[in-house]
Amino acid sequence: MTRMQREEWQDIVRDVDWAFAYADDEAVFPEWQSGTGSVPREAWKDWEEGYKITYPEYVAVQREKETSVFAVKAALQRSKVFDDLDEGWKSTAKAHFGATSLIEYIGMIGELRMARFGLNGGWRNMAVMGALDEIRHAQISLAFAHEFVPKDPQYDWALKAYQTNNWAIIAARRLLDGITCDANVVDVAIQLPLIFETGFTNLQFVGMAADALASGDINFANMISSIQTDEARHAQQGGPTIEILMKHDPARAQWVADKMFWLTGRVFAILTGPAMDYYTPLAHRKQSYKEFMEEWIITQYMRTLNDYGLKKPWYWDQFLENLETTHHALHLGVWFTRPTVWWKPQAGVSRAERAWLNQKYPHWEELYGEYWDVITHNINRGEMASTLPETLPWICNTCQLPICTHTSSPDGKWRVRNFAHTHDGRQHHFCSDVCRTIWQEDHDTLHMKTMVERLLAGDVQPPDIPGLLGYMGITPDVAGDDAYGYKWAAEYLPGKAAE
Amino acid sequence: MATENPRAKARRTWSVFADRRRVPSEYEIVTQDLNWTARKQRTSALEANPASPSNQWFLTYRDRSPLKVEDWSGFIDPAEMTYRKYVSQQDEQETMVAGILEEYQKAGQDRRLTAAWRNVLLTLFTATRFPVHAAQMCHAYLGQMAPNSYITNAATFAAADQLRRVTVVAYRTRELQLAFPDEGFATQERAIWETEPDWQATRKAWELALMAYDWGECFTAVNLVLRPVLDDILLRQFGLAARANGDEQSWLLLGNLDADAKYNRAWSVALGRFAIDRRPENGAVLQHWIDRWLPRAEAAAAGLARMLERLPDTGRPADQTVAEALAAQRTVLTDIGLSPAP
Repeated sequence: MTRMQREEWQDIVRDVDWAFAYADDEAVFPEWQSGTGSVPREAWKDWEEGYKITYPEYVAVQREKETSVFAVKAALQRSKVFDDLDEGWKSTAKAHFGATSLIEYIGMIGELRMARFGLNGGWRNMAVMGALDEIRHAQISLAFAHEFVPKDPQYDWALKAYQTNNWAIIAARRLLDGITCDANVVDVAIQLPLIFETGFTNLQFVGMAADALASGDINFANMISSIQTDEARHAQQGGPTIEILMKHDPARAQWVADKMFWLTGRVFAILTGPAMDYYTPLAHRKQSYKEFMEEWIITQYMRTLNDYGLKKPWYWDQFLENLETTHHALHLGVWFTRPTVWWKPQAGVSRAERAWLNQKYPHWEELYGEYWDVITHNINRGEMASTLPETLPWICNTCQLPICTHTSSPDGKWRVRNFAHTHDGRQHHFCSDVCRTIWQEDHDTLHMKTMVERLLAGDVQPPDIPGLLGYMGITPDVAGDDAYGYKWAAEYLPGKAAE
Repeated sequence: MATENPRAKARRTWSVFADRRRVPSEYEIVTQDLNWTARKQRTSALEANPASPSNQWFLTYRDRSPLKVEDWSGFIDPAEMTYRKYVSQQDEQETMVAGILEEYQKAGQDRRLTAAWRNVLLTLFTATRFPVHAAQMCHAYLGQMAPNSYITNAATFAAADQLRRVTVVAYRTRELQLAFPDEGFATQERAIWETEPDWQATRKAWELALMAYDWGECFTAVNLVLRPVLDDILLRQFGLAARANGDEQSWLLLGNLDADAKYNRAWSVALGRFAIDRRPENGAVLQHWIDRWLPRAEAAAAGLARMLERLPDTGRPADQTVAEALAAQRTVLTDIGLSPAP
């Protein structure tokens, strides 16, 4: 007889809860950590993951994956693939490594919290494997990025980024700290596996894998595809949690999902939007960011909402409208403040690229063309100072990203607006009424100084661009610049007609 | 802001290692500074209201713990465990476990177990899924609260090892239930854990350990006191008792699991030593917690020892069981550089 099948015995591994006699249940599972809320404690007995795996299966499968990914890495190490990669694409990779390597690790902390404070043994067990997965993702990303450090110091930020107070990193930390640590584990199980992982990592990992392959970066594609295979498993913690929450407290489920979908969308707009629509070489672009969002994120999220009986978020129309604008505005901001980032933003506005943008985004020229015309003009006149920042843009108190998104108005005009709110006698500013609503509801946890408020409060010394760069940890060898050294602007010089 | 000459000072590794003379190991390259909530230059652990419950929790139980050193990054897990190494090593161990399970299943060994020993297995082996799961939860807590990723990773692998142990126990539980459907396997363990008088001190110790929220106390209670004592009894000594009672399979399985316990002891000792080396006052900090937790471990050991003497055909003398378990714990303290109470 061979070994018993998993189904014949795994229920015993999951049956590990008991009633405490020497400790209060509330002390072992504090409410703000465990977060049962109005869900009866008994209800968590029904928590059951859809995708089951045992420890021996886990280590066997994962060992194989590791062997295969590192074998490809070793094989490519001696090749010249890296040297031939396009600078625009490399920027995508560098932004990715810096922004995501350690996100995996804070995800790991979130998993460990569920492994300790989750109210069901099967859930806690699954979270242990989730934690292992996330260690893997952090370590694999760092192992890959480290190889390139001698060739390009910007890869150093794969590890360094989150140790700094870089403005983009503050925004990402704000999001991920909120998803993984600054909430009870019931909310974490919705925010992390269901919204962030199921909802959005497809965008970065599936979408970027396709662009990586097209750009010839097999190693990168190989790495992120392998990471994504793990998400499918541990992301399953969201489903059973939201099912229970929907039964007992649907309003809470709806709020947590709505809030985190919006906030996550903001950060992906700055991370993935420019990568897809500006950095990836034109010839290698598979889909526009908007098309990818529509196909992968929106369709998928609609299915998720349907599956669990959730309603569309209250801001849905606005979210769709923002797919036309947000990431273009953020890209413009990132390029303009390029010395503050650890990659080389590719402007992506050559004539051919602008034609592509206008084809994909009917309002692009109307909203952004003029800004880029001015920038191009200044470059061509050698007035580089005019293309560089003298200070920072105002930053949203909720998402910590620049307030820069055009929104449509009843009079047909598109405007960048500030959404203000006074609290305790102080004015706070938001990029959108959605971010404002979220802050109004959750300001007890969200209330903190933005980068600009730190500057004004004297936390940044001297309070100028060099002082800011120092505060942000940016060293001269890392400070970003145009990916192509502004060569793209030359085709706009007088006398060079459009082709 | 052009980056015209990035190769002027070409780096060979992460800038964080720039001041080091030696080349960092693969382990260090993928373990250093992973936990941004413990970064320098922070006003609070999380990018949120410094007064939020989570920030207060990190502040109270981690950043203001009496167990502190200037920089925990110097701590190195002696096994230099990375994810890749972990899954590779444990997959090999699981292959061995699978081999043991299959061989003994084929040989029909369970049928040869005496009634008395089957009761021992139910009481002291299959019932352990509860305390081992408690240890898993404690390690998961230590991992999330540790002030440095070198510690967090070791604690997370320890949590996974406890899941491994529960998994082996659960598999055997079902096998024993199939062989002896009416003897309480898979159905009575929780009642035994909750009501058997000689389990209660162990249960009490784990329930209290789950509330040891200071990360340093959690580490001390679980890694330096409870597990060294209880692993010695429930893995090593129970294995010897199994062998003495004709149950070689349990002896082999527990011997395999004991390797995980040894790994956990090794890095725990290394961490304790590191804490004292870097800041001698930490010796008193650890000692204070050891003094709190050792009596709980002693009471737990006494209860388990009584069962191990009373229940099998060939029992182990309770005094010997307790003495050996406490000696194992004393070794941990000596290795750390603390002098154990006589």
